[in-house]
Amino acid sequence: MTEAMPAPPKLSDPERRTAFLLSLPAAMILLIMFILPLGLLLGVSFTGPEGFSLAAYQRLLTTPHYLSVIWNSLKLALVTTALTFLIGYPASFAIARARGGWRSLMLGCLFLPLAASVIVKAFAWTILLRSDGIINSTLMLLGIIDEPVRMIFTQTALIVGSANVFLPFMILPIFAVVAQLDPRLGEAAAMLGANPAVAFLKVTLPVTMPGIIAGVALVFSLSVSAYVVPTLLIGERYPTLAATIAKAYLLTQQPAFGAAAGVVLLSIAIAVVILSSRFGRSSGGLS
Amino acid sequence: MTAPDAGLHLSISNVSKRFGATTVLEDIHLGMAKGELVTLLGPSGCGKTTLLRVVAGLTHPDTGRVELAGRDITRAPPYKRNVGVVFQSYALFPHLDVAGNVGFGLKLRGLPKADIASAVHRALSLVHLERYADRPIRALSGGQQQRVALARAIAVEPSVILFDEALSALDRKLREAMQSELRHLLTQIGATAIFVTHDQEEALTMSDRVAVMYKGRIDQLADPRTLYDQPATAFALSFVGQSLSLKGKVVSSDADGSVVETSAGPLRVPRRFLRGSSVIVATRPEHVTLTAGDNTLTGTVVGATFQGSRSLVEIDAAGTRLTAEMPGRCTLPERGETVIFSWPLSETLSFSGEEHA
Repeated sequence: MTEAMPAPPKLSDPERRTAFLLSLPAAMILLIMFILPLGLLLGVSFTGPEGFSLAAYQRLLTTPHYLSVIWNSLKLALVTTALTFLIGYPASFAIARARGGWRSLMLGCLFLPLAASVIVKAFAWTILLRSDGIINSTLMLLGIIDEPVRMIFTQTALIVGSANVFLPFMILPIFAVVAQLDPRLGEAAAMLGANPAVAFLKVTLPVTMPGIIAGVALVFSLSVSAYVVPTLLIGERYPTLAATIAKAYLLTQQPAFGAAAGVVLLSIAIAVVILSSRFGRSSGGLS
Repeated sequence: MTAPDAGLHLSISNVSKRFGATTVLEDIHLGMAKGELVTLLGPSGCGKTTLLRVVAGLTHPDTGRVELAGRDITRAPPYKRNVGVVFQSYALFPHLDVAGNVGFGLKLRGLPKADIASAVHRALSLVHLERYADRPIRALSGGQQQRVALARAIAVEPSVILFDEALSALDRKLREAMQSELRHLLTQIGATAIFVTHDQEEALTMSDRVAVMYKGRIDQLADPRTLYDQPATAFALSFVGQSLSLKGKVVSSDADGSVVETSAGPLRVPRRFLRGSSVIVATRPEHVTLTAGDNTLTGTVVGATFQGSRSLVEIDAAGTRLTAEMPGRCTLPERGETVIFSWPLSETLSFSGEEHA
């Protein structure tokens, strides 16, 4: 990505000072609101009853229960990312290729739910999915089922809800790339002898890779740390890292343990973002 | 169905295409010899790009047949046609460098690496870009991208190369330079090519034959000279080169031709028309002299401009504006002066007024 940027112009000393001053407010906000609390979090995670301690990490990374919690969060993020990609990739093309009114309508449908709080959306799913919910009563009314099917508080409900909430974050970056593409690229590949499958693998996929990577990084880091969606749609049956953190702070009063869980969660998200941008560069994606 | 002529490299016969209620192509026939350069010329919406896409396989015709190098390709998918296309937007692959773009088709054909490298080098040296092989596409200028698109199309040695307004994105100077260079290059490699353009100068420069298209039909298919001297329709006349034309009604007709009464006066045409029919009488500006002759009219000079090798005199003849072309060094009439002017009968063109609106 960086290689595509034109080299920054050489600045004179006064210009450099102006640039520094202009960046100061943003830097201060980041420092006070973000870096400092993170530093505090990191510090707290290494405290025990007698000062410095690795006890929190030891408990988190060796107890089978907490390892399964980490795996739960990872699994939720992986499945959500895969599902939103499978739905979002073709959808991005549909939106980018749509004309005028249709395109606005589709983008509207995508943006509008972002205005609603994730709590509202998660509750909406509980209304749809519960045993006396709309889906069950409709199915029973139609005589397709005789008894309500258990849908709420299942992993299926969790995945469906999570994919629904995070889908826009997959579509928007991919759409941004696809909208810039020359629609003739596929035709150019065909004229050179590429059948549709080859054209997709050799041209469309690599050319849209920057958008895919951005979408994957966004959805993965959002869903790995999701709190509201798993809490409302599956609850205690599927403990996640985010729920563990909340519990450590709010219920069990173990700030060191909560901080350590936070650090692990953050590390996973950062690792995925770094890995995916690496992968993007090696796969030759364009800026 | 007429049988396609034997010995033709590319043969398009009976091709028609409709999009909903609009007829985009109507009974198109076009045969091309190997090595021939043909331009489809016409205004936007005349069907020229659709015809090109039919040859490419990117659009399927409703009726008709397309044969290339003795093979019926009417239903063949684009990737099995061996047809090259240079797109208006170039459609270069942004994730590949110059060599990657040019070698794309060769790689798909599974050629050994060494063969690909030498073919890429050959194609790039034809367009003078051999030193740009490892540049990313975004580092190239528009003209260079145009050359890469051309190199990419010729590298796979297609049976026919199609140019879809391929030069229109270049600025005028570069475009003119590319026109003669491209023609030279295509002749050199013996390529058969079809150009699509709305630029008549480009059509005349680039091609052996020009197909003037209007409303989904080929109005005239002829070499540039014939097209200019003997336009088949009023549309072909107005679309290629400058012309002056007057509408009128036939008042008499005999074996030698007809007399047409126009708003500016009677004019003789060397063609027989029915009495009373409406006719367009025309000539080219360079045939007009400021003396009496076969077809003489009177008018008022509304403007005269010196343009170096030639001068243009604009004359108002009974409400119709006509432009005459004079040699650059002649004495020009004054504005407002009343002049007589004429052109010879042999250079008088005439078209039935009902041919085109």
